[in-house]
Amino acid sequence: MGVAAAPVVAPAGQWRLAWRRLRRDRVGFACLVSIGVLVLLVFAGAPIAARLLHHRPNDLFPYAVDINDKPASPWTRVPALNDLPPVTNEYALDKPKPPQGTPNTLLILGADGPLGRDEFLRLLYGGQDSLEVALGATLLALVLGIGLGAVAGYFGGWIDAIVSRFVDIVMAFPLLLFLLMLATSATPHLDHVTFDGVLNEGVFGLVVLIGVFTWFYPARIVRAEMLTLRSREFVEAAAMVGSSDLRIIRKHLIPHVAPALAAYGAVLVATNVMLEASISFLGVGIKLPTASWGTLLTATWGSLFEPYHYNHLGFQPWLTILPSLAIFLTVLCFNLLGDSLRSALDPQGA
Amino acid sequence: MLRIVGFFVRRLAVSIAILLALTLATFVMFERIPNEPAGFLVNLKHASQAQIKHARHQLGADKPLPERYWLYVKRVAHGDFGKSWATVAFTSNGDELGVPVRTELWQALGVTASVVVGGVALVLLLSFPLGVLSAARPGSALDRTAVGVSLIGLSTHPLVIALLLQLFLGDRWRLLPGRGYCNLHGTPQIAFGTPATVTTQTCGGLRDWVSHLLLPWVTFALFFIALYSRVIRSRMMDVLGEPYIRTARAKGAPEWRVVRKHALPNALLPIVTMTAMDIGTALGVAAYVETVFHLPGLGARIVTSIASGFFDVPVVIGIVFFTAVIILTLNLLVDLLYAVLDPRVAAGRVTIGPAARSGRVA
Repeated sequence: MGVAAAPVVAPAGQWRLAWRRLRRDRVGFACLVSIGVLVLLVFAGAPIAARLLHHRPNDLFPYAVDINDKPASPWTRVPALNDLPPVTNEYALDKPKPPQGTPNTLLILGADGPLGRDEFLRLLYGGQDSLEVALGATLLALVLGIGLGAVAGYFGGWIDAIVSRFVDIVMAFPLLLFLLMLATSATPHLDHVTFDGVLNEGVFGLVVLIGVFTWFYPARIVRAEMLTLRSREFVEAAAMVGSSDLRIIRKHLIPHVAPALAAYGAVLVATNVMLEASISFLGVGIKLPTASWGTLLTATWGSLFEPYHYNHLGFQPWLTILPSLAIFLTVLCFNLLGDSLRSALDPQGA
Repeated sequence: MLRIVGFFVRRLAVSIAILLALTLATFVMFERIPNEPAGFLVNLKHASQAQIKHARHQLGADKPLPERYWLYVKRVAHGDFGKSWATVAFTSNGDELGVPVRTELWQALGVTASVVVGGVALVLLLSFPLGVLSAARPGSALDRTAVGVSLIGLSTHPLVIALLLQLFLGDRWRLLPGRGYCNLHGTPQIAFGTPATVTTQTCGGLRDWVSHLLLPWVTFALFFIALYSRVIRSRMMDVLGEPYIRTARAKGAPEWRVVRKHALPNALLPIVTMTAMDIGTALGVAAYVETVFHLPGLGARIVTSIASGFFDVPVVIGIVFFTAVIILTLNLLVDLLYAVLDPRVAAGRVTIGPAARSGRVA
C-alpha cells in the first residue's frame, strides 16, 4: 500500500491575497481603474491630443478672447493665428479681421484666460506636471522614510533620539513656511534639471523639496514597527545564524512594514497633489507659462502682486472649476485607494 | 505639582533652544540666496558700486553672518525686531526711518488671530456634534452622510474652497465681500485689498469685520471639520466598545448620559494631543486663506515678503520667530493641560506621543 504523494500546495502570498480582496472591493477597484485612466489620459493622451489639434498648450490665440476679455467657451473654433494682424482701422472697436483663408483650430474646453491658450491641453499637460511631482515626491519620501526610520528604529540610541527630535520639531511647524523659504532659496539651482527635457522646468525642484519635507510620516510608521519587531524571536534567530543588520532589516523587517507603507503611499500621493497645487498657486513652484494644476488655479485670481479684477462681462467660472475638479477627483481617488489598500492588506486591523 | 513645574521648566528650555536654532537656520538660508538687499534702497540698474556698498552697509547686510546673528539675538532680547526693508529709508544724518517689524507683525497677528479663532469656533461647534452623533448611531443615514461629507472635505483643497467661495459668493452674486479686511475696533479705515478698492472703500467696526471674515472662516473650518469629525467619530466608536460603557448601560443609564458622561471625556484625551500637532497645519491653512482673500495676516505677509523676489529678511525672520513662539507656547499649554488631565504624564510614566496620522496639506 503506497502512500499517495502529498498534493503540492502553493499558498497565495500576502500580496496576491490583498489583490484578490482589492478586486472585490468595488470602491477601491473603481479608484484604481480611474487612476489608471487618468495616468493614460495625461501622459499618453496629452501628446496625441496636441498632435490632433495642431497646437501646443502654450500657444496664444488672440481670437479666442473677445473684446471684453472673455475667453472662448468650450468647443469653439477660432482662427489659428498667434498674433493679431496689423490694425487698419484705428476706430474699430472689434479686433481686426483675420486674413482670408486662415485655418480654424478647435479649443475643446475653450480658452484659459485673457491670453487665449487652449484650456483642454493645459489641463492635460498640467496634469503631467502635477502627477510627476506627486508621484516623484512620494517615492523620494518613502525611500528616505524607510531608510531613516529603519535605522532609527533598529539601532535606537542617539541616532533614534536625533531623528525623532528633528521629526517632532519640523512636524510642529507649518510645512508651508519651510516650503516657501526653500522654494525660493534651493530650487533655482534644481529648476534647470530637466533630464534632457523629459521633465518640465521646476518639476524636479518640487519633487526634491516636497519629498525632503514629507519623509517624516513614513519614517514614523517604519520606526514604530521596528521598535516592536526588533526584539522578536525571528530577528534573534536571524542574528544567531549570522545575518548582518542590513540583511535583517531588508529581508525580515521591511516586509512587515510594506503593507502599511503601500496604503500610506497612496494617501501621500493625494496630499502631494495638494501641496504641488498650493506651492505653484503661490507662485514659487512650477511657474507660468508652464501649466500645472496649481498654476491653472490662478486663472481667475491672478497673483498676489497682480490680482485680476472681477469683470462681469468676462466671467468664466469654469477656468477655476475645471482644475479644482481635476485636483479634487485625483485626491479623492488616491485617498479612497489608500483606505481600500489598508483594509485589503490588513483585514484584521482597520 | 512640583513634577508639573519641573516638566514645564524642561519644556521651556527646549523651546528656547528650538527658537535659537530656527532663527539661525533662517539666517543661514537667506545668506545662501543670491540676492542684493541694497535693491531696497537704491535702483540697482543705475547705482554705482560705491552706492550699492553704502546701501548694504546702512542695512547692516555687509557684516559677517555670525556677527549679524549675534546682533540680531541681542536686539530681539530687547524686543526690537528691526525695520522692514521694504519701508526703510535713511535721513541725511544716518537716522533709520521705517516701519518697525514688531508693529507690522503685531497688526498681522491680529488678522491671523481673527481668522483662526473664528474658524476654530466653527470647527468646535460643528465637528463635535457631527462626530459624536454619528458614532452614537453607526450606520444610520446621518452617520453615512457625515462620513461621506468628511471624506469629500478631506479631499478638497482649502485653496479650491476659498477660490470658489470668493468667485461665486463674493464676486458673482455679491453676497459678501470677497477681498480685504476691516478692523474690529477703532476708526473706520481704508480696507486692504485690490488696488481698485483700496482708495474708495472705508470700513471698520463689528459688522464689517464679521462680513469680511465670514468666507475666510468657512474656508478655514471646512477642512478641519472634515478632519476632526472623522477622528472624533473613530475615537468615540473605540470608547463606546469598552466594557465600562456596557456596565453603565447595564446599570440603566440613559444613552445620552452614557455618551456625555462616560464616553466623551475618555475620547477627548487623544484629541487634545492631536490639536497640538495641528496648530502648525492651522497656521498653514490660514496662510492660504489670507492669500486668497487678501487679508494682511502673517501668512500673506510671508508670502509677499518671499514671493516678490526681493527678500525682506527682517520681516521673514520676524514671522518665523512669531510663528515659532505661537506654536511652542500653544504646544506647551496643550502639554500642560494633558499633564493636568492625565497625571501619569507628569510622573514621566507615559510620554506624549503624537499618533501617526495622514499627511498634511499645509
